Amino acid sequence: MISLENVSISLGDFSLKSVNLEIPSGEYFSILGPTGAGKTVILELIAGLYKPDKGNILINNENVEKIPPEKRGVGFVYQDYALFPHLNIYKNISFGLKLRKISQKEIRNTVLELTELFNITHLLSRFPGTLSGGEQQRVSLARALALRPKILLMDEPLSALDPNTKNFLREEIKRIHRTYECTIVHVTHDFNEANTLATLVGIILDGQIRQVGTPGEVFKNNGDLKVSRFLGLSAS
Amino acid sequence: MAKTRWWKDKFNLFMVIFTYIITFCIFATLMTVILKGFPGIGKALMTKEIQFSIKLSLYTSVISTIFCILIAMPIAYVLARTDIWAKQLISTILDLPLTLPPIVSGVCLLLIFGTTGFGAWLEDIGLGFVFTVKGIIISQVFTNLSFTIRVLKSTILSINPRLDYIARTLGCTPMQAFFKVTLPLSKNGIIAGTVITWARALGAFGAVLMLAGATRLRTETLPISLFLNMSTGDIDAALAVANILIIISVISLFIFNKFGGDFIGDSRVN
Repeated sequence: MISLENVSISLGDFSLKSVNLEIPSGEYFSILGPTGAGKTVILELIAGLYKPDKGNILINNENVEKIPPEKRGVGFVYQDYALFPHLNIYKNISFGLKLRKISQKEIRNTVLELTELFNITHLLSRFPGTLSGGEQQRVSLARALALRPKILLMDEPLSALDPNTKNFLREEIKRIHRTYECTIVHVTHDFNEANTLATLVGIILDGQIRQVGTPGEVFKNNGDLKVSRFLGLSAS
Repeated sequence: MAKTRWWKDKFNLFMVIFTYIITFCIFATLMTVILKGFPGIGKALMTKEIQFSIKLSLYTSVISTIFCILIAMPIAYVLARTDIWAKQLISTILDLPLTLPPIVSGVCLLLIFGTTGFGAWLEDIGLGFVFTVKGIIISQVFTNLSFTIRVLKSTILSINPRLDYIARTLGCTPMQAFFKVTLPLSKNGIIAGTVITWARALGAFGAVLMLAGATRLRTETLPISLFLNMSTGDIDAALAVANILIIISVISLFIFNKFGGDFIGDSRVN
């Protein structure tokens, strides 16, 4: 379970105002909101890349304030892939494994297992700059999953991809959620993505979580005018 | 505008011709020195004085460049990546030696090392900077450091900070992330910064003159040698030294453009 309790942070012009959020373990949670609503910052707070100005973040009932990102056991996938441009695909995926005391053979097996899962084994010796967007995002997913994180954080992972690749990767992500049994927090502005992938959806507007529920519940008109307007449900 | 049609427009024609004329003037000025001085280089190189100057210039500039890079890297990282207290003020102070006339920097250094208790204490522990070779090195560091910081800062700014974040989530401590991600991605910027800092160190004059003085065969770097020979009327030697400095400048500008020109595009993520 990931819990945010009254979390506030201001970064330059942007701020989150006492956000409360509970994400039960094993769920596929989608944070849905317009651009600039603070979605990415929520992920970066969970990962520990920022510290909240106020409030607490708990992972499995443990306050993680003092736990640095490298010890939180989260995997992170960005919209722009953020692959290490100076390392080839093999080294990108094995980056986290190499920092731990794992034998070369074991590292190799884990990498090959992942690259087969994502169908990118033929790219191992290439460098990120020479890959297509879809390929890069698959590498980025493989890299995040290499350490078998309990929590996978994804920031608009499909937004930069063309429709075909998007559909294909959506299915792969669904499969990951089933096979890896991790909690996924997926930030998006795409209703369709949230609707088809998530088991729970949270709507964020103006730095605040306005509504949380299953896709079925959230995509029904329920009276919150701002949310309805954002979802295009409001008649008024 | 099509590239081949610029001459059809009077305004553009004027601008282009103007550019050619100015470029020619700069080139002609340099060529005058090269044509006059180049034949004398061989002879100059055989003299003890020039040999001494070259050796001293190489020695001091290499050492001061190493210091500049080592000092500038952490500072550039802090300025590019963190939000420290009074950042604007700190940034301005660090920039100051860049705009200060080098001769003023030299006076500052001379006063702090020559007239204060701190300077006396340094001299006691073997770090005498006034009228010494160490003084040449510290003058070069003082006048070049701001510049090196700027080059490295822009290098680090061009690297996607998310790469650092990702490295952290994959298990890196902040220090590991720096050495495994930021530093290797800064490689081209560091090369460019090193070359340009070194070239500037070779040419450092004003501050060096003030702090280390212009003593023949003692603190005589190439620019000091040029100055001494010019003032004693040994034009051939002076022009030969000028030529050596021009050649070094051209080569380092070439290297800087090669690495500095693309380091921003290259190290940006993907």
